[in-house]
Amino acid sequence: MSDPILSIQNLSKSFEGNQVFNDISFSVERGELSAIIGPNGAGKTTLFNLITGALVPDQGKVIFEGQDIVGMEPFDIVRLGMARAFQRTNIFPKMTVLENIVITIITRLNTNLRFVRHWNSSKEIKKRAFEILESVGLADKASHQSGTLAHGNQKRLDIGVALALEPKLLLLDEPVAGMSPEERWETVDLVKDLWNQMKITMVYIEHDMDIVFGISQIVRVLCYKTLLAEGPPDEISANHQVIEAYLGEEV
Amino acid sequence: MNDQTYPSRSGWIAGIIVTVILFVLPVFLGNLGKTGEYWIWVSTEMIIMALFAMSLNLILGFGGMVSFGHAAFFGVGAYTVALLMKKADFPLYLALPAAPMVAAVTAAFIGWFCVRLSGLYFSILTLAFGQLLFMIVFQWYTFTGGDDGLHGVPRPEILGPINYYWLCLIIFMVCFLVIRMIVNSSFGLTIKTIRENLDRAKFVGINVRRYQLLNFVIAGAFAGLSGGMLCELNRFAQTEFLHWSKSAEPILASLVGGMYSLAGPAIGSSVLIFLKIFLQQVHRSMVEIWAIFLGVLLLIVVLFAPQGLVGLYQNIFHKSRS
Repeated sequence: MSDPILSIQNLSKSFEGNQVFNDISFSVERGELSAIIGPNGAGKTTLFNLITGALVPDQGKVIFEGQDIVGMEPFDIVRLGMARAFQRTNIFPKMTVLENIVITIITRLNTNLRFVRHWNSSKEIKKRAFEILESVGLADKASHQSGTLAHGNQKRLDIGVALALEPKLLLLDEPVAGMSPEERWETVDLVKDLWNQMKITMVYIEHDMDIVFGISQIVRVLCYKTLLAEGPPDEISANHQVIEAYLGEEV
Repeated sequence: MNDQTYPSRSGWIAGIIVTVILFVLPVFLGNLGKTGEYWIWVSTEMIIMALFAMSLNLILGFGGMVSFGHAAFFGVGAYTVALLMKKADFPLYLALPAAPMVAAVTAAFIGWFCVRLSGLYFSILTLAFGQLLFMIVFQWYTFTGGDDGLHGVPRPEILGPINYYWLCLIIFMVCFLVIRMIVNSSFGLTIKTIRENLDRAKFVGINVRRYQLLNFVIAGAFAGLSGGMLCELNRFAQTEFLHWSKSAEPILASLVGGMYSLAGPAIGSSVLIFLKIFLQQVHRSMVEIWAIFLGVLLLIVVLFAPQGLVGLYQNIFHKSRS
């Protein structure tokens, strides 16, 4: 039954003698919508960096679609079908919203080495770009310079850029960070819709426990350099270790 | 759109008018005797240096990589033409196309190392390679003529001053259109994307170094072509063509003209050369204080027109659009 798309095996990482992870292992099932939680400094973003190739682990394996991707370049890992949206908005600010999406599609299609025709000349690419902008609710802002968008829209564009890669696995690092309460739930609904429609496996980092326990199938708790707990939301919220270490008395 | 590479209808009309004027200019100047001939020579140099500035701007403005060693490719192009024509008796129509090719190969070699670094480290390494090449040419008397340079590069008889001007203008126009095409292509968008956010570019799957290297080679090829053209204009190649101060010229031109536009560097280059020659004509001693003029001009541009002359023009005439 088990069909993991991503499998972390015995991963360890230290920075200048400070150990961040000590021998953590877990697997993400295909089609899963899961959350990673943990106190500040637990290494959640570092974990994403290790998975996506931005950092290289000291030890252990990262198996994505049956292949050990440790040591591969980030752009090669992206090509295998893994995309990422960032905690701090990370787009191409002086390019238009449309250009942000189009360059991503061009790269996915591996047509960067076309020198003659205008990048804007492909109808299929443009059509696909607008579909993606539609799905993240930015179609009417296609010609805006992306750096001038409101913060929430920039985060949506960041997600749109990741979606334009048509990934099998999508890693979202605090997709609602810095958003107003209404924006938060809008974005959560968006993420959930996308997951429903596109059948992408999604892993996201989040601090807001209402969101985490509201939409996740699986919650993983990072704490004390290791994976403290892993399971469905109701199990995690009842886990004494988790409550003591992290959730405190709020739950 | 940040990069002004889409000419409007008025942009096209202005471009055609400028082209026509440039084509007719030497006929007019030719009637002015000795002074006219001198200005034809100056205009030809302006066209050539405009191409050199545009070539740098492929990596500087569109690629976001500050190279302090771009003169290396300019110089390689010049020496390619000089050596092929003087020592191997190549005709110009074979020697001139060879210049961008040899420059491209040189750029591929130097670039392979340089694109591994970014920011200031990239700049310093380009400077180091540029000066290394300069020293090799400077020391290798038997092959390059050392600090004497190579003089007496032959000129085909049909290429009088006016004809050579036209040849350079046609080459420039073709290169302008090719560079414009590259900048607006999928490759051009890739290059701009890397400039905008190098780290994020990797996470949309762009092999950053590969495209930076390719862009570096393309820019080197155009620089080599312009170097070859200047060599034929002056009928000599000299070590100064490879010197780091030559690398600074297109950087200053891009700053003055506007590095986020296609024509900006070409305009900036022409304005700077014109100013320098004009001051020289007003009084010989003015050349000595050219650096002061240049400094003040740069100060004004950086403080009041950070987008250069092209940006200034757009601010004045297209306020409603922004």
